[in-house]
Amino acid sequence: MVRDDEGSGEVLSDEELVERGRAGDDAALSELVERHHAAAYRVAFSMLQEDDAAQDVVQDAFIKAFRALAGFRGEASFRTWILTIAGNEARSALRRRGRRRETALEDAGPVRSQQKPPDMEAVDAQEAAWARKMMGTLPEKQKLSVALRIEEGLSFKEIGEIIGSSEGAARVNYFHGIRRLRELLQ
Amino acid sequence: MSNMKCETVREWVPDYVSGRLARLDDTSVRSHLKACDECRAEVELARLIFESRVDVPDGLANRVRDAVRYDRRSVSRPWWGITAAAVAALALGIGFSSDRPEQSESAIPGYAYELDDENLWLSDDGLIAGAPALDALSDEALLQFLDELDVGGAGGSA
Repeated sequence: MVRDDEGSGEVLSDEELVERGRAGDDAALSELVERHHAAAYRVAFSMLQEDDAAQDVVQDAFIKAFRALAGFRGEASFRTWILTIAGNEARSALRRRGRRRETALEDAGPVRSQQKPPDMEAVDAQEAAWARKMMGTLPEKQKLSVALRIEEGLSFKEIGEIIGSSEGAARVNYFHGIRRLRELLQ
Repeated sequence: MSNMKCETVREWVPDYVSGRLARLDDTSVRSHLKACDECRAEVELARLIFESRVDVPDGLANRVRDAVRYDRRSVSRPWWGITAAAVAALALGIGFSSDRPEQSESAIPGYAYELDDENLWLSDDGLIAGAPALDALSDEALLQFLDELDVGGAGGSA
């Protein structure tokens, strides 16, 4: 972990690490990777549903972010920035695959009835796997809003920045996603 | 039921299930959940989602770090820098292949480092004909290097 080397020994903030990274400090960049690669992976995986492709996306996202570090003005947090880049990279990967699904909330289709297999009742691991599978069926913006809010603890303002929507739209996407999941998982 | 509204509790559910909620708020939510089936169902769903997070593959952080390091080195070296490094490496090759076995690499630590580096063509320097590595050498090592190249040290001719 990179700490302040001027006496306080405090853990450096992302902003301080970005500053050091700009000045060519590899250890600072390494720490940013340590802090944010997991969230970036989960964002990429939730969109691509494929491990190898998600790992490639995370790698490309950090390379692009660090190349552009000089132009990063800190209007958003580094976390929001890297997750936005990861989301964009994943979207590009989907486009390349030709499997991009329509994601706008207003275009989301009706909830399909999906019966949970009876032998999955009361089995936690399988229940979790089932929930993950159902998450995968949500429209992209709903899926990302739910994942970023619950799994990463982001605010709706941050989520809006990442999915390219307003804070209000992010909130609506989240609650629509939750409602659809409740219907799917009943 | 506590005084807390369902609307507020549902805003906080993600932070509650992930343990990010402040203790006081956490207590208020708990109190509300005891009496509210709707919010309890919401909590159970959020907990299921949180606990079903995908595992991040081991080694991903290292893979990303390696890729970033490689990229930064390659970006920082322009094409002519690569050519210059090739020239420098060729010159070194000549130097090391001379029949002077007593000449150890440790006599020229800067170049030895370059040669040991598996990313020889991607190091951060990008100047002409070995000049950056030369900067790191002692006078003595420089003289030895010039001597090996047979371009004249103290006694070299123009």
